[in-house]
Amino acid sequence: MNQYLFLYRGAERPTSPQDAQQVMQKWITWLEDLSKKGHLQDRGLPLEPTGKVVTGTQRTITDGPFAEAKDIVGGFSIVQAEDLAHAAELSKGCPVFERNGYVEVRPIMKM
Amino acid sequence: MSEFVFLYRPPQGPSLSPEELAAVMPKWMSWMKQLDENGHLTAAGNPLERTGKIVKGRGKAVTDGPFAETKDLVNGFSLIRAKDLNQAAELAKGCPMLERGGAVEVRPVMQI
Repeated sequence: MNQYLFLYRGAERPTSPQDAQQVMQKWITWLEDLSKKGHLQDRGLPLEPTGKVVTGTQRTITDGPFAEAKDIVGGFSIVQAEDLAHAAELSKGCPVFERNGYVEVRPIMKM
Repeated sequence: MSEFVFLYRPPQGPSLSPEELAAVMPKWMSWMKQLDENGHLTAAGNPLERTGKIVKGRGKAVTDGPFAETKDLVNGFSLIRAKDLNQAAELAKGCPMLERGGAVEVRPVMQI
């Protein structure tokens, strides 16, 4: 098995606390399912849509939100899969798709 | 202390050669060690290959990388502890990747 990072990008934010709770429940169910099948190495973390960006040799600090908000990373997980194609298949159950988001699947570098 | 994620976004252009990678690794290790000794490192995280796939849309179509928006490319991440967002951004200034451009995106972890 190899390790892959799922980057959850571009999802619409929940519109109310109730909505957020429903979304959270779907994520918990999905991650539990991945875990039972032995594919979840680290459930990872959800991120606030705020932040700062430190750029270049000048180390310029700018505030979020970010120019490319449609591609904003909203969280990540680490999964185990046979290969990249398998990892991409595993991502298809992700609740992010219901929010018009997408999953970027990236091989973790072997050091 | 609050939790933050550093997303490392490399400068545009070709990825590092194996020789260049070997040359920057000690700088990364020394930076991580310093963050750790100062109580700011929760997890060093992982560097990523510059390949991958995108799964997108209602049809969940799978397409290959490399990616159109390379300025938004992420090539690794770390988990950091800091007292606030400003301190986390200050800590990011030590990142060795910034010596050749690129950016560190500093993001608060959602409290759930």
